Amino acid sequence: MSVAPALQAAETVWSGLVMAENVSQPQPIPPELIRIEGLLKRFFGYDQFQVIGHSQKVLRTGQEDWLATSKFFGLHVDARGERQGGYVLNLKLYKEKELLLETEAKLSKRSPLVIKGPQVGGGQLLLVLVVQ
Amino acid sequence: MKRFEEKWTAWLDDQLSGRELSDFEASLPDKATAQAEKADAKKLGELLKRELGAHALTNDEFFNHQLREKIVQENRGSSKIPTSTWWTIPRLLWAGAASLAIFLIFTFAVMQEKNPAEESQYLTQILNARVDPVVSPNASVSIFEVKQDRVTVLWTEGLQSLPADYAAK
Repeated sequence: MSVAPALQAAETVWSGLVMAENVSQPQPIPPELIRIEGLLKRFFGYDQFQVIGHSQKVLRTGQEDWLATSKFFGLHVDARGERQGGYVLNLKLYKEKELLLETEAKLSKRSPLVIKGPQVGGGQLLLVLVVQ
Repeated sequence: MKRFEEKWTAWLDDQLSGRELSDFEASLPDKATAQAEKADAKKLGELLKRELGAHALTNDEFFNHQLREKIVQENRGSSKIPTSTWWTIPRLLWAGAASLAIFLIFTFAVMQEKNPAEESQYLTQILNARVDPVVSPNASVSIFEVKQDRVTVLWTEGLQSLPADYAAK
């Protein structure tokens, strides 16, 4: 019975480190974030969202782990299996080698996850995970 | 002749007295037969009184019964009209349609009540979250499920702020 999830699990999870800022001339939103553009602007109050690091991981067993990094931040994602329409993920946000935040979430295939990270300058670091 | 009949009737009813009574009885050809007839007439009178009295009571009851029947019939007649017109086939159809509509409304309401719970299963769920208390001692986390956008937000407050240089790719 453990074969079934593995066969069904050939799905891609997009993980991104996103800098949200207010600028005079905002850049177009990256295609991975178009689906949640309205929520990002409404919820966080910024008009520009730029991806500073990302990773696209195809899940085959639902047990993979991967890293999305920028120059100073690293998001480690450890998938811990598929469960009820989603993947259980352990997420760790690092600033260089310093662990800032750890969370465990069941990432639904239909529902993105957005995590508000630390304030960076005049902007905000966001972590976004989407099953594509 | 008439006068005799009147006197005869009065004599039978014991309405004669005095000289009138003695004159009348003296005028009778056969007083014994007349007395026998009088006795028979009295018996008949008593019988008729008894029977007529019983009939009169029966008639009263019968009349009352008839009257009650008529009142009941009139009442039925007056209440029959709206009853018979209310449950006509079109009204029955309307009642059926209304019942079906009410059923559908309640079903829809129950489904609406049920859907949010089912929908929340499709939303990403935060199982736990932890901020390093050494690095960010005043930090806290909140979870928002934005059902409108089907997005879950883990909202942190009080994380260590960093200079703009950290926004580098």
